[in-house]
Amino acid sequence: MVTYVESLRMALTAIWGNKMRAALTTLGIVIGILAVTLMGTLISGLDRSFEKSMSFLGRDVLYISKHEWFGDSEWWEIRNRPDLKVDYVEKLKDQGKYVIAAAPVAMRSVNITRKDEMAMGISLAGTTTEFTQTAFMNIESGRFYTEGEDRSGARVIVIGYDVANVLFENENPIGEKVKIGNYVFRVIGITEKQGKFLGMFSLDNRAIIPMGTYQRLFSRRGWMRLEVKVDDEHIDDAKDEIIAIMRRLRGLGPEEKNDFAINQQDAFRQQYQTMKIAIGGTGFFITVLSLVVGGIGIMNIMFVSVKERTREIGVRKAIGATQASIMRQFLLEALFICLFGGCVGIVLALGGSFLIDKFVFPSTMPVSLALISLILSSVVGIVAGLAPSYKAARLDPIEALRYE
Amino acid sequence: MADLIKLTGLQRYYEVGGETVKALDGVDLVINQNEYISIMGPSGSGKSTMMNMIGCLDSPTTGTYEFEGEKVHEMDDNQLASIRNRKIGFVFQTFNLLPKLTALKNVELPLIYANIPKDERLELAEIAMGKVSLTDRMHHKPNELSGGQRQRVAIARALVTNPSIILADEPTGNLDSKSGVEIMSVFDELHSEGNTIILVTHEAYIAKHAHRTIHILDGRIEKDVYNKKIRKKLNKKKATA
Repeated sequence: MVTYVESLRMALTAIWGNKMRAALTTLGIVIGILAVTLMGTLISGLDRSFEKSMSFLGRDVLYISKHEWFGDSEWWEIRNRPDLKVDYVEKLKDQGKYVIAAAPVAMRSVNITRKDEMAMGISLAGTTTEFTQTAFMNIESGRFYTEGEDRSGARVIVIGYDVANVLFENENPIGEKVKIGNYVFRVIGITEKQGKFLGMFSLDNRAIIPMGTYQRLFSRRGWMRLEVKVDDEHIDDAKDEIIAIMRRLRGLGPEEKNDFAINQQDAFRQQYQTMKIAIGGTGFFITVLSLVVGGIGIMNIMFVSVKERTREIGVRKAIGATQASIMRQFLLEALFICLFGGCVGIVLALGGSFLIDKFVFPSTMPVSLALISLILSSVVGIVAGLAPSYKAARLDPIEALRYE
Repeated sequence: MADLIKLTGLQRYYEVGGETVKALDGVDLVINQNEYISIMGPSGSGKSTMMNMIGCLDSPTTGTYEFEGEKVHEMDDNQLASIRNRKIGFVFQTFNLLPKLTALKNVELPLIYANIPKDERLELAEIAMGKVSLTDRMHHKPNELSGGQRQRVAIARALVTNPSIILADEPTGNLDSKSGVEIMSVFDELHSEGNTIILVTHEAYIAKHAHRTIHILDGRIEKDVYNKKIRKKLNKKKATA
């Protein structure tokens, strides 16, 4: 036991005696560990924001639109597909036994004004009341419009959190009037803050009006999707059923391809998985590369160290050091250089994650990854230290004492 | 008196460039406890090999070497390390102190390899430093010490394990004559305290301090003589007996 503690002390003394060299040597390890931990942080953050975004898309909601989310169809093919129609919704609800709720969603970009304030580039959605079931949002204050308001084309509007903030800084918007173009709407509700979807567009930057109103004031044609909430125990059956109903509605013959697309959350998941593997793979490659290079650097410097200290090794052997204790001393030295590098890497990564968390997206450095990094750097240290330590241990004391 | 060291028919051959060099070619030698011996010989005589052999740094090609009854010629590397640690104290011409350690730490070093706990190590190291009168220099590093002081630290390091023999290889070779005299008086004193000392040297005036001088030439013992003073003493003993 005494010798273990002393070997440790000797190793640390030797490292301390060559601080600069040890620090430079371990740079490769620092970079390797930094790469692996930062990547872990990045992926954890991506996971988190991905899951958050996914929570806006229900697992049990199917999105029917002209194009596939991640399809490889040509754009002209999609353009030539017929538009979706509002009355499909009723047919889907009547004929689909797995359909729980369905809402058409038409969308366009508008500017909303109120007195001198203007909210620009707002996604204005026209939809029906069942949108509250297919979309995942909560009304923070006020209410959603009723079916009667929808049917009668009432000029009422539900605005997103950010829109409310821009137009009504310190006032209560409920009951107030806003304008879209020349049309006046009464604000009846505000949706809860939701954040961005996959970091691309904000869900708080939208406004919702009744479908009837939308069609009357803006357009009956144009882009539209249908959101269909289905029985979550029969999602695949529901999908087949909806495809069948849609084909009937479109009057497609048995030979013809679908001229519409049924999208669901899984499409995003698959896409995300692919991306994650790509990021992870690249990070893994960088990590392995820098650890190998770092390890070779350590091995090299350890050989130098053994050479320089040949005489010391001779003295130690003459006064009774065994091969094992010499081996231990040098192995510990290599191990600690690497561990030191690992720790520096983790500290830098902690700083990096803090910056990512603050400025890119919410994320934390996984603790498990820090531990794995430490183990990884230890392994590199031991592997890199083996050959030089063995060489040191096997030195002939007579030769070593004679070494100048 | 029990034999401390017993060499019988000791040979050590090296293969150098396809030729066999007979560094030691049949050495028989007995060393007793509390002897003060010098080994002399010109360079290439086998004197160094002899010292390495006695110091258990080298193993014989043929022949036997017994150290207090332990068969050194049959030992493996670990056993050799252990016997060097327990029974032999080395003093080198170039001191061979570890430059980054303080004097006290250098002296402590053999005790670390002997697995002795820290408190006891410190105590023993301080006692050894006392024996070479360097207690006021314990926390200096070797480069802050004079040559003579360095060699005294080295002697303290050799003494600290309370070894059976102290083996000194040209201990005054790197010192000025004044320091050399000092160091030799340290050895004389250690001998008078009951230690067994073996000096390897080619200086006759150093060898004179010893009571017995072994001359090596061409790998053999050429001459093995007691100094005049000792001869007289021994003769006196014989006469009274």
